[in-house]
Amino acid sequence: MLDAFEILTTSGIVLWRRHYAPLSSNVIDSLVRDVFIEEKQKSGGAENSAPSYKKDRYTLRWTSAKDVGLVFVAVYRSLLHLSWVENLLAAVRGLFTKAYGQELRKPHTLKVDTAQWNPMFDALVNRLDTGSTRRQSDTLDSEGPTELTPPSSSAGDDAHEPPPVPAPLFKKPAIPAKKGVVVDDTTSTDATPVPTPDTSRPATPGHAASHILTAKGGPGKASRRSRKGQTFNTSAPASSGDESSAGRTLKGSGKNATKGKRRWDIDGMAVEGDDDGVLDYSAPATPGPDTADRELDVSDVNTSQMGSHTGKGQFVLKDLDDEVDAILASSKQQSTSTTTTNGEIATGSGLLNTATSRLTSLFRNVVGGKTLSKSDLQQPLQQMQTHLLEKNVAREAAERLCQSVEINLLDQKTADFTSIDATIRDSMTKALTRMLTPTSSLDLLRDVSSTTSGPGARPYVISIVGVNGVGKSTNLSKIAFFLLQNRFRVLVVAGDTFRCGAVEQLRVHVRNLSALSQREGVGKVELFEKGYGKDAATVARDAVAFATNRDGHAQVQGQGMLYDVVLIDTAGRRHNDTRLMSSLTKFGQLANPDKVFMVGEALVGTDSVAQARNFAKEFVDTKGKLRNNGVGMDGFIISKCDTVGDMVGTLVSMVHATGIPVVFLGVGQHYGDLRGLNVGWAVDKLMK
Amino acid sequence: MAKIEDWLTWALSPTISAILVTLIFSLTLPVLIHYYLYKRAVARELPTFLLLGPSGGGKTALLTLLATGTASPTHISQAPQTAICQLPSTTRASEDQYRSENDTSSRSQPSILLLDTPGHGKLRHHAFSSLTSPAAIKGLLFVVDSAVLSSAAGLTEAAEYLYDILLLLQKRHTQGKTSKGPQAIPVLLVANKQDVFTSLPVGLVKSKLEEELGKVRLTRSKGLLDSGIGVEDDDTDEEGNWLGEYGAKTFKFSQMREHGVEIDVVGGSTNGEGEDPGSVHECWSWIGANI
Ligand SMILES: Nc1nc2c(ncn2[C@@H]2O[C@H](COP(=O)(O)OP(=O)(O)OP(=O)(O)O)[C@@H](O)[C@H]2O)c(=O)[nH]1
Ligand SMILES: [Mg+2]
Repeated sequence: MLDAFEILTTSGIVLWRRHYAPLSSNVIDSLVRDVFIEEKQKSGGAENSAPSYKKDRYTLRWTSAKDVGLVFVAVYRSLLHLSWVENLLAAVRGLFTKAYGQELRKPHTLKVDTAQWNPMFDALVNRLDTGSTRRQSDTLDSEGPTELTPPSSSAGDDAHEPPPVPAPLFKKPAIPAKKGVVVDDTTSTDATPVPTPDTSRPATPGHAASHILTAKGGPGKASRRSRKGQTFNTSAPASSGDESSAGRTLKGSGKNATKGKRRWDIDGMAVEGDDDGVLDYSAPATPGPDTADRELDVSDVNTSQMGSHTGKGQFVLKDLDDEVDAILASSKQQSTSTTTTNGEIATGSGLLNTATSRLTSLFRNVVGGKTLSKSDLQQPLQQMQTHLLEKNVAREAAERLCQSVEINLLDQKTADFTSIDATIRDSMTKALTRMLTPTSSLDLLRDVSSTTSGPGARPYVISIVGVNGVGKSTNLSKIAFFLLQNRFRVLVVAGDTFRCGAVEQLRVHVRNLSALSQREGVGKVELFEKGYGKDAATVARDAVAFATNRDGHAQVQGQGMLYDVVLIDTAGRRHNDTRLMSSLTKFGQLANPDKVFMVGEALVGTDSVAQARNFAKEFVDTKGKLRNNGVGMDGFIISKCDTVGDMVGTLVSMVHATGIPVVFLGVGQHYGDLRGLNVGWAVDKLMK
Repeated sequence: MAKIEDWLTWALSPTISAILVTLIFSLTLPVLIHYYLYKRAVARELPTFLLLGPSGGGKTALLTLLATGTASPTHISQAPQTAICQLPSTTRASEDQYRSENDTSSRSQPSILLLDTPGHGKLRHHAFSSLTSPAAIKGLLFVVDSAVLSSAAGLTEAAEYLYDILLLLQKRHTQGKTSKGPQAIPVLLVANKQDVFTSLPVGLVKSKLEEELGKVRLTRSKGLLDSGIGVEDDDTDEEGNWLGEYGAKTFKFSQMREHGVEIDVVGGSTNGEGEDPGSVHECWSWIGANI
């Protein structure tokens, strides 16, 4: 059984929700954060199935309606396998956007009155739940908590009280005429126990229906429906008894009563279903003897009402059935049809038609207000992709960026006086900004000073990894210089015990830095080395122990930490050399660095993606989980940025492949040539 | 085709009717265009207030509360959201301040445009871009979760965001000094979620943030230059990038006054179950005073 279903806007407002069990709000929050914003979960190729996301013991499935900015989320226990949820999502999307889309498209709309959505949703669930996992106990369980969170739809709440003083801008939606019958259903399940009429809503269903009839007597179908609803209401005075009993049990405080009512509700549906012949899966749930035992009066009323109720219910269901079937069928077809329609249009219309349509589309392109179709986007997106490729963005990243822009813009309207190209540019700029901006910015100085001071002070350990010859040692020296300027004591560790000359190279750097810092009277720096051939991981661990000075060396007794920061250089390795790469895992676990930075070259082309991925995946802890919340490393240092001009695409490729932010850029040969990343600057260069 | 030609001939012929039609046409068109543009301009010119703050502070909840009177349940925002709300009748707008309490002549409460921005680290560019846009921004509401501020990470995140915003406002002020300076934008710091058991009281929220802003200011001044420098603006001088009073040891919100930024702090709670509407009231009166 479902645990929860929510309909939210992209601005984060929950328009409607139904919780069948208590659910912490952060389950859906983390879906939004991980999937929609940080895009940690790359959506796979399977487009026909609704994507899913796992959090704690829940599985979440969602679908979105981009044009109205809605996200539909269904939550259920991961233990269950609810394949019908996908259909439910599609159906809800179709029906909900149809009912409320108009209103949601208006600017400044925060809420819509979703009171009538409750019965619609119930009916949908009943219609689509294939019952594979439904048990009696489930339904019973689920009812209690629902009662605990009464304002399951906040907008529904509004309906019961007069609007607040600061007059809200949204208007209560006029009840759509075609929903006349469904409205009846609302009042019968939703109404207050005593037949005191709501002040803000038509009191009786009959009233509602007739009101609609007079107001919107237009289209044949609608009026037929509402007439039918009306006849039902006037012909069945017993329905008011039905109503009040349902209402009483719904709002009744006794838990028993609640249970009884719920069962009745479903059974009511079940009876309708029997007539229909479609819903016989729920036949076993028809009122059994125990229902009758427990809630005598209720079941009495029920049995007496069944006839008329069935008549109406069947009607609702049948209506819904048609619509749902249509929606499901169209959603299935959608993927296949998109390619064919384009061709049809081109051939099917006459020469004159194409000419005028092309003219208007040109005009639209200038003036704006054009609804973007797949074919409109295809060519400019292709241009955008080549543009990105020219900026040295890896093909994989460029394709995915263009894809996400396309998904974003499809069926959207361009703004006034905005061409398609400008719209795409704008969307791409946003996508790039979002990708390159780190979730939380890195403030190295603060991190270091908070780790090295106060209780539990210890040296801050940074290690630098990367393939051969990208400038690991140089960038390490730059970081050392930066830290020295801020008066930290730095221990540089020669972890490259492999390549000959590596230790000597570092020694030169350290000597230079030492001279520089002495002249300026800032921090101190020293080299820690154990020669060649030793295991780098052990050297690193020893170095950290040395800097910590835990057991107090004789000559520096009682002085505490000898160094604030330990900077570990590592051997360069090819990312496809599995033997050397796997030694990184041990290194990560023994040295346990606070930060692992990978140096990448701005010059490399498509190789950067594989490099970044392979390095990131080596940094797992002893439990086999990737460091740093499952991304492995803490940041990239992109070296040699001064040599590539505008072609800073490597930044994008590497961040895209791993989700690890770029923290530093190397922009020259001097020790001071290290920069933080300014996202706006990078995006400007990319879009130029 | 013949019809069109006929019509054209008539339109260009010196008959009275053609002249009349042309006259009417040429006289009404500018008027219509004027009204059209005027309407649009007015619709845009609503006083705008911006909701900012780290994720989970309660911006969206506050937006729904201010605009509709009840706070909706919310999740993390992915996109900005606007809403038009009207000042409640109990709040007096600044333009009404000389009006007598007993003046019963009808006055319409002014409307404002509230703009909610996502607070997630990756989506703050929405906030920054709307802050630099030319729209008539009358004030910022920086919403923080007072319960989260007791943790070091939460405090740092809020302070860093606030630092960026304040520095932007300060630069805007210094740059605008020479020409006809841009209007000063006041900031209201809303210490939200006062109903939560672990939340810090308003005074503590203020002092903790000031202290943390001082630390952020210190490390930012010593940190690496970023890659954009030298491209956009060349004011790499230290004073321009130092928030508040240059050279001051500790940071106080009052130091921002000399840079044209007024900062007020109020407590708030969006889900005060009816018995505590005071929190929103304070927001309203601040908004009313700054329209
Ligand atoms: N207890 C309590 N909870 C609140 C209060 N205000 C907001 N919340 C809750 O805090 C959570 C986050 O609120 P949002 O309004 O979504 O936060 P936001 O600032 O919009 O966050 P982003 O959109 O991610 O930037 C929601 O679950 C709210 O219900 C409050 O005053 N008290
Ligand atoms: Mg929000």
